[in-house]
Amino acid sequence: MTKLTRRDFLKMGAAGAGALTLGELLAACGQALSPAAPPAEASRLPAAQISPALAAVPATGTLPPPAPTEAPVPTATSAPGATPLSLPDLAVAHGGEPEPMVRLALSAFGGMERFVPRGANVIIKPNICTALPYQYAATTNPWVVGTLVKMCYEVGAGKVRVMDYPFGSSAEQGYKRSGIREQVEAAGGEMAYMTPLFKYVKTPIPQGVDLKSIEVFDEILKADVLINVPIAKDHGSTRLTLGLKNLMGVVLNRNTMHVNLGQRIADLASLVRPQLTVIDAVRILVANGPTGGDLNNVKKMDTLIVSPDIVAADSYATGLFGMQPDDIAYIRAGAAMGLGRKDLQSLKIQDIPV
Amino acid sequence: MKISAIFASRGKKKVRKGRPAGPWVTARKTVQYLALLIFVVLFVQAQRDGWPGNVVNLPMRLDPLIVLGHLLASRTFLAGSAVALIVVLLTLVFGRAWCGWLCPLGTTLDLFPLRRWRGDRPAPAEGWRKVKYLLLVATLVAALLGNLALLFFDPLALWFRSLTVALWPAADRLLTAAEALLYRIPALAGPVSTFDGWIRPLLFPTAPAFYRDALLFAGIFLGVILLNLLAPRSWCRYLCPLGGLLGLLGKVALFRRQVDEECKGCTLCTGICPTGTIDPARGYRSDPGECTVCMDCVEVCPRGLNVFKPGLLPAVWQPYDPGRREALVTIGAAVAGVALLRSGLLARREPPFLLRPPGVRETNPDPAAFTKCTRCGECLRACPTHALQPSVFDAGLEGLGSPVFVMRLGFCDYSCTACGQACPVQAIPPLGLEQKRLQVVGLATIDQNRCIPWSDHKPCIVCQEMCPLPDKAVQLEQAEIQEADGTRLTLQLPRVVRDLCIGCGICEYQCPVNGEAAIRVYVPEASTQF
Repeated sequence: MTKLTRRDFLKMGAAGAGALTLGELLAACGQALSPAAPPAEASRLPAAQISPALAAVPATGTLPPPAPTEAPVPTATSAPGATPLSLPDLAVAHGGEPEPMVRLALSAFGGMERFVPRGANVIIKPNICTALPYQYAATTNPWVVGTLVKMCYEVGAGKVRVMDYPFGSSAEQGYKRSGIREQVEAAGGEMAYMTPLFKYVKTPIPQGVDLKSIEVFDEILKADVLINVPIAKDHGSTRLTLGLKNLMGVVLNRNTMHVNLGQRIADLASLVRPQLTVIDAVRILVANGPTGGDLNNVKKMDTLIVSPDIVAADSYATGLFGMQPDDIAYIRAGAAMGLGRKDLQSLKIQDIPV
Repeated sequence: MKISAIFASRGKKKVRKGRPAGPWVTARKTVQYLALLIFVVLFVQAQRDGWPGNVVNLPMRLDPLIVLGHLLASRTFLAGSAVALIVVLLTLVFGRAWCGWLCPLGTTLDLFPLRRWRGDRPAPAEGWRKVKYLLLVATLVAALLGNLALLFFDPLALWFRSLTVALWPAADRLLTAAEALLYRIPALAGPVSTFDGWIRPLLFPTAPAFYRDALLFAGIFLGVILLNLLAPRSWCRYLCPLGGLLGLLGKVALFRRQVDEECKGCTLCTGICPTGTIDPARGYRSDPGECTVCMDCVEVCPRGLNVFKPGLLPAVWQPYDPGRREALVTIGAAVAGVALLRSGLLARREPPFLLRPPGVRETNPDPAAFTKCTRCGECLRACPTHALQPSVFDAGLEGLGSPVFVMRLGFCDYSCTACGQACPVQAIPPLGLEQKRLQVVGLATIDQNRCIPWSDHKPCIVCQEMCPLPDKAVQLEQAEIQEADGTRLTLQLPRVVRDLCIGCGICEYQCPVNGEAAIRVYVPEASTQF
């Protein structure tokens, strides 16, 4: 092996530093070219592939008129622009095994292909808050997640990754002990980790009422399709953790969220827009959430709530706990910001007994 | 001088005596690198979610010093520790072959010989070889008196701890920094992401590890390597207590180096010997207590006169071997040292934040000294949140290197039993999950002067939310509070339920208050029951 001379070493060093500077410059140019808007937000789904019913749900950064919540229309079907297919706003499957419930609920919307274009990069975000077996209802039902992975691939998704950042254990343990890793990998999906930390990028929240920017895991923003799969359960500070609350898993510093939590969750949801929310209520945790740990606090509901409208899904789920949508601060804030609708009477809800 | 001299010396490379090569040296080096690789793989797999504890902690159970120290201190012999007899047997047959062929620290020292920097400096006086024997005696006497702090200097523990606390996190940090830099270049973001997704699960924990005293432990490790500046393998020659133990066994080893009568005294072997034990004054014979069976001399001898063959007489006692007087003084010093540390314990109260791994308080009568702990560092490596940290000052000198919880850096995962599974000597009891969940590490206490709802009258219930106990050891109490200006507000104030809390520390870890948490786990009473 020839020894490096000092001169060569310095030359190589200078070349390397030059290359890095060039790279930095390129990166700076790349950022300068894209406007200050959150990256990939508007381009997540090609507009042509959003079904008319879905288009009613704001998918871009523009605020819709406050009509939907207060419009005196009995159902969404008669709303102007609704599709002749008369798709529901929300589907509730109940009484069956997880897989048929997921499949039937989605078929009410015309199947997974309405949400997942061919070749799409899909991220599924379950709730894996800690390392407890799924029976404790602290983490999303593994078969619900697994079925979603399968269905994404069935309609030709390019890549399907499942991720969360547990707070009560390491991600490895959470993935394993919840049983989610097994089902996801059996379905051909990938359990990805929400690390390294440099992948969290500070992103402005243009619509944010209280929270103006936050560090978000950039893969979530880059994904073509985000499917939000919370488990419905009791929660100390917000009373319930549902779809909106589940989005907190994509930010780095959750402590900053805890002040004025309800509004800040809604602010975050105006930035991170799942195309589909699937609330797992196969089992629900009715006390001492979010981690629980006592099977006596677990109630088997065999229910699955599916909607492209995250606020509507959450609003419906409050009923499982004998609550009203207005009991939950982030649902109120989310509806006020026009992220979705909380008035259950005006929603077209399809009930699917399995 | 020295930089220019270093660069200038490059040209003279050919003049220096070449390192010997030949089948024996090749074989030895192959075994060394293979063994090092195995040790590194076992190290990597020793993190949670790696291989089972009783596989990854095999190196520690192979170490006769750790096993003997634990035996003396705990008065119990564990069946799993019997594998140490393999190394004892190996030494009784081949001398200190462990040191020359297998020891990961020895191989690391061979990888950084620092030959050029050392130059022609003469080796330290022979008398320094004594130190390792005296350290060995002190270690074993202290062990007999129930103090294993000196196992801090066991070479395997030293190597393993340095990797855990300093080198591996540093490698992780460097890789992450490089990736972070490249990730900002749009064209490279994809490949960097793919690369990271491949390498991180293979080598590093998902959440980066941080150890408080990483610099100190890195310094100790660097110091051991820099000792090579004095003489090759200075650590092994002068200091290593395991080397001392194996050296004593090696004195009666079956195979040992012998020099043929025909030796003409060319001194090639004297110059090449990494432990400098081939002494012209002794007729080119060597001390089997020092020889690491590296086979360099066998290969270097132009006439093939260096051979290892069976011999039955015990080796000659060398001038630097400890005499009766020195041994007695060391024993006395060790006894006095242990006694003095003890008296210190009596004089003061137990440190309030000395949080031992789950089950230790129940199974070790003296949690400060942690009598059974061999300081090997397996539990530090296994802890998935890196809450277990090596003690430097937390438990006094007698607790040096033993594991303590630092809850601000991590927490005891409610669903984890890794430390107990990893411990090679059951100093941390290997509990099942249900049992482990019942172990009380300490109790959480709220500092109402700093707690956000208590002192600032702002809502925060993070500790209650985080508490993993099914019935929540942190409970919220509705309280109506009158502010100075007369306004009234309703707040949820957290309180710890003492009968439920097990001191897992997730509340302390997650507490949003800056600096020291407003909820801390401590040991309320200096007893095993609280």
